[in-house]
Amino acid sequence: MAENMKNENLALDIQNLTIHYEVDGDIVEAVNDVSLQLENGKTLGLVGETGAGKTSTALAILKMIPDPPGIIKSGSITVCGHDVMKASKKELHAIRGKDVSMIFQDPMTSLNPVLTVGEQIAESVQLHEKGMSKSAALDRAMEMLETVGIPRERAFDYPHQFSGGMKQRVVIAIALACNPKLLLADEPTTALDVTIQAQVLDLMRKLREEYKMSMVMITHDLGIVAEVCDEVAVMYAGRIVERGTLREVFKNTKHPYTEGLFNSLPNPRDRKAELIPIPGLMPDPANLPQGCAFAPRCPYATEACTKAQPQPRKFSDTHTVLCTAYDDAGFHIRRNHNG
Amino acid sequence: MADIILQVENLKKYFKTPKGMLHAVDDVSFTIERGKTLGVVGESGCGKSTTGRAILRLLEPTGGKVLFDGVDVAQLDTKGMRKMRRNMQIVFQDPFSSLNPRMTVSQLIAEPIIQNKILTNKEDIEKRVAELMETVGLADRLVNTFPHELDGGRRQRIGIARALAMNPKFIVCDEPVSALDVSIQAQILNLLKKLQRELGLTYIFITHDLSVVNHFSDDIAVMYLGQIIEKAPTEELFAHPLHPYTQALLSAIPIPDVDIKEERILLKGEISSPINPPDACRFAKRCIYACEECRKKAPELTEVSPGHFVACPYYDKLVQQD
Amino acid sequence: MADIKNKKIKRRSQWDEIWRRLRKNTGAMIGMAIVFVMVAVACSVDLIYDYDTEIIAQDIPNRYLEPCAEYWFGTDALGRDVFKRVVYGAKYSLLIGFMATVVSTAIALVLGSAAGYFGGKVDNLIMRFCDIWGAVPGLMLGMIIVSLLGPSIWNLIIAMGLGGISGKSRTVRAAVLTVRNSEYVESARSIGMPEWKIILKYILPNCMSPIIVAVTLGVAADIISASSLSFLGLGVQAPAPEWGAMLTSARENLRYYPYLAIFPGLAIMVTVLALNMFGDGLRDAMDPKLRR
Repeated sequence: MAENMKNENLALDIQNLTIHYEVDGDIVEAVNDVSLQLENGKTLGLVGETGAGKTSTALAILKMIPDPPGIIKSGSITVCGHDVMKASKKELHAIRGKDVSMIFQDPMTSLNPVLTVGEQIAESVQLHEKGMSKSAALDRAMEMLETVGIPRERAFDYPHQFSGGMKQRVVIAIALACNPKLLLADEPTTALDVTIQAQVLDLMRKLREEYKMSMVMITHDLGIVAEVCDEVAVMYAGRIVERGTLREVFKNTKHPYTEGLFNSLPNPRDRKAELIPIPGLMPDPANLPQGCAFAPRCPYATEACTKAQPQPRKFSDTHTVLCTAYDDAGFHIRRNHNG
Repeated sequence: MADIILQVENLKKYFKTPKGMLHAVDDVSFTIERGKTLGVVGESGCGKSTTGRAILRLLEPTGGKVLFDGVDVAQLDTKGMRKMRRNMQIVFQDPFSSLNPRMTVSQLIAEPIIQNKILTNKEDIEKRVAELMETVGLADRLVNTFPHELDGGRRQRIGIARALAMNPKFIVCDEPVSALDVSIQAQILNLLKKLQRELGLTYIFITHDLSVVNHFSDDIAVMYLGQIIEKAPTEELFAHPLHPYTQALLSAIPIPDVDIKEERILLKGEISSPINPPDACRFAKRCIYACEECRKKAPELTEVSPGHFVACPYYDKLVQQD
Repeated sequence: MADIKNKKIKRRSQWDEIWRRLRKNTGAMIGMAIVFVMVAVACSVDLIYDYDTEIIAQDIPNRYLEPCAEYWFGTDALGRDVFKRVVYGAKYSLLIGFMATVVSTAIALVLGSAAGYFGGKVDNLIMRFCDIWGAVPGLMLGMIIVSLLGPSIWNLIIAMGLGGISGKSRTVRAAVLTVRNSEYVESARSIGMPEWKIILKYILPNCMSPIIVAVTLGVAADIISASSLSFLGLGVQAPAPEWGAMLTSARENLRYYPYLAIFPGLAIMVTVLALNMFGDGLRDAMDPKLRR
């Protein structure tokens, strides 16, 4: 019973997800034993560098991992009460768009160039609202365009008649057309200029409130996370190394990798401050080290770190860190010490 | 007296398009002191990359002067230009497409040395390549690898080594870190800083990332639709942005800190392309302060305090218009 | 720490990569093997067989023999061993196919790279010429040229070669265009490299992949066209055992002696199929979209 009660409140529940890609005989361990819960109405920032496994995780939520070469090795994913892993093709189609929508990074390529934007929004409405007439769907499409700040007359324009920021608005309108409960946004503003990014983020924030959606914001930009997210999960080499509320992760950083990310960013308040990059490179996901994947680049790494996979350690109900160093009770990272 | 290494005067680069003449760079003038970094920021399509390429004549300028140590680069013939390129180099944005995929690391780095006959002895060249690889932090075991086997950070180091191979005095860095992940980005930025200190290089640093330019540059020029609309020392610009566009641009930077919540200035609309631009302020369409005058006459870039230039005659009496 | 050191630095040039991927493609490897065998056979037929006594010498008493242990493919109307003639015929088909492609590729490289690199008026002029040239049906073009110059192997090669110019020029131009605008070409200019050197060192090597694919598939197409022309009596003349010409002579008695047409027909089919499989495999192996 308690299990069930808990699930009611969760927009997303991922348990022990492991995804491998088999390419040319190499096994690429893209996502390793990731567990992640997101409550209704919350926004989670999924942070990490290229190849950390962010997009694979998001695609798995929609069961859209390209197979081959991708294989979901193990794990369960529950979205708004539906078990995605066990869902049939038909159920999946109902879940996609209706319960979960995804926005992709590049608005230039995610729209069909031969349909007007109105038709494209209407199409996604009709897919999920069976029996809705074409004109009603088009009406709804125009409404959606207005919601994302585009005049309704422009429903009859083709994608190439829109600029980058406008296209991303159209993509958002398509994603939101069926009132999804969970929105997955994969770097939605990376292809946009800063001033346009500010507009789009502002829009997404407003719509999230209005539609009472949960959101997973995949990004590499900690600034965006600080701006729109309530919670943060930091991924490194396919694992979530730190997970907590925004304040916990930003103000009470525990994982050395998270610290490294912050140190690599120019400080807007102290422009003369030296950047402290993380030395080395992310390990090849086809050839991960035996112990902690970050150990080879970690300034605090000890013998123990290279031996065994670190176990999750809780610092509060919401704050979990994957780091062996905290076995030593006196351990703290420098960032905390100074600030 | 300031030691000016590069003086750009009324630089223009127009492109013919089916819709009309595109004024990609329109009357841009600035100077850079030896050993300093000028950051050029702006959104895509503002002409910042075109400016960098026109200075190096990778694109032929339509008009204007580029004085490098007093020599007008724009007037040089092919031979003179080839010689001049030793002094002026470029680091490209995309380390994935700016290296010939058919060449190994050592061939790539040796190429400019051989091409310009800086060294002719094979052993000397090998030695120089090893030295350059060390300078930019490439392990010598990578000597025979191909660029597609390396990650973005290492490729960008190859690009930097190529640029350094001819001992240039001046380098245009065209978004050198925007294709890289943050942790690698910091490595490359630190490398470029170190090289500047050690070799006395002068940089033009072109980027759309304002926090990077804030960290990296001594002066900043903000471009909008082919023109510089504000130029000032970095600290001054970030502390007192005068042009409405600069203000909006600065306020749009997402800050990775939970305690700083800045009031955002949201701009209307998006940047258009400067095709046959009328004689008016190019920002007027998106400016919340724009008045009748702004739409009638193009503002001039004027010095309002020492070193601080702005192209908005109303910068000190901005009133929001309806 | 330790594991980073352990990671091998793989040294693979792009050609190694392509070869590695090609090896995994069974179809392409079979195609390649067949092509190699064919080429080897074509090069050595004059050592194996004596043209005058074994290939064209008539043996009327043994005419129209069914395929048997001695005559694997049977004998034709003049009592000649069809097996030997089919094997010998590989020489003509491959020679014509390869040479015609060499001719068309050589011309296309010049036209296509000029059009792609210089652009503007040069591009316009060359491409309009290719449009017109390409609008003439290939077979008709071949027929016109052969009837003007007279039927012979070399004239056939010229005819086929000229017919292939327009398509290949377009391929070369497209390849050059993508490479010309890449940043590494700009990077070469920024270190003061002269244009001709950029074309030779940067542009052509980097657009080889699509051109090689076009060439492989082009050989197959040229073999078919050459056989068609020979079939029409415009190519290689009897008694030379060109496959298309053999089909022509088999046509008269097709109803009674079908094997006379089946074997040369199969030979054409197998050769073309092998080349196409190899070409398709090459394209897949070279397609950057499949690269990691």
